[in-house]
Amino acid sequence: MGWLDKLMKHLSPESSGQHSKHAAKERLKLALTYDRGGLAQGTIEQLRDEITQVIARHLTIDEDEIDINFDRTSQEDKLIASIPLRMSPRTRTKVGQATAMAGKGPTPPHQD
Amino acid sequence: MAGRVITVTSGKGGVGKTTFSANVSAALAELGKKAVAVDTDVGLRNLDIVMGLENRIVYDLVDVVEGRCRLQKAIIRDKRIATLHMLPAAQTRDKTAVTPDAMEKICAELRSQFDFTIIDSPAGIEGGFQNAIAGADEVVIVSTPHVSSIRDADRVIGLLEAAEKQQIYLVINRLQAEMVRRGDMLDIPDILDILAIELLGTIPEDESIVVTSNRGELAALHATSPAGQEYKNIARRLLGEEVPMLPLEEDKGLFKWLARLFKGQ
Repeated sequence: MGWLDKLMKHLSPESSGQHSKHAAKERLKLALTYDRGGLAQGTIEQLRDEITQVIARHLTIDEDEIDINFDRTSQEDKLIASIPLRMSPRTRTKVGQATAMAGKGPTPPHQD
Repeated sequence: MAGRVITVTSGKGGVGKTTFSANVSAALAELGKKAVAVDTDVGLRNLDIVMGLENRIVYDLVDVVEGRCRLQKAIIRDKRIATLHMLPAAQTRDKTAVTPDAMEKICAELRSQFDFTIIDSPAGIEGGFQNAIAGADEVVIVSTPHVSSIRDADRVIGLLEAAEKQQIYLVINRLQAEMVRRGDMLDIPDILDILAIELLGTIPEDESIVVTSNRGELAALHATSPAGQEYKNIARRLLGEEVPMLPLEEDKGLFKWLARLFKGQ
């Protein structure tokens, strides 16, 4: 690697995301949550499955995008869940198109 | 005299408990305090060889516990610093030769004779660890910035809290400024965020620790040893002095950075 490459690498903002200390910190936080809580292996996977089932009964969700994890700070341990909903995007109809759309697709929820 | 009994522990082995115990005891003694370093690693004693006192052992901790000699007789007095002492572990026995009750009694006696009793704990969280913490007023946890060491430190903190030890401090050992600068080593705020205990000091990676222990000398007594200086600072902090934490030599200067770049590192 030439010195110019190194210069570019040093200056590139995304290089900070690859530093191994971030991996160390994230992995430690998760391991310590398991250690401290005396949690069985696979707890998080089981939680993911059960939470998904309950929510899917009421809402349409994107199961592949669900992110459930523990987070640990010096103050508290948290369970953080990010569950994106899959709703049909809201179609806003312009005034002039309203008649053309009628009877074709689903009626947009609101027209304002 | 009502001295302080401080146990040095870690969970993980090889992180620098013995080096810390030897050097902080020496630094306290050099500051005029009467100090004794106690090896509780029965069966795997090493404090003696690190302190250069391995040829002076006659009696040991187990002899005291089993009543073969009085405590006074087993304590070795250092010839370099008049106020420095060491109580060796037995080498041919195992951890079951000592009990937490026996350690509490020995600690009570040491507390009445010494300003500081520094107890070097064995690795692990079993009997030897329980013996080492039984008589402690304060506990120092030594951890390196490695994931394995930090995880074990967290486990030990949990056990110390369960044993109702109130004063627990952290020492981060073998910190490499250059790796921290690159983002390839957990730095001090990261570790404190994870472990959430009070920081007593950070000790830089330092070759002179190997060199001094090769010779049975103590880095804390060498003015040129960076780690030795930090052991001294830790001793002063234990005495209540406000000593700023060692700044990480983050050589961020443009000149040094360019020098590194062109050297191809």
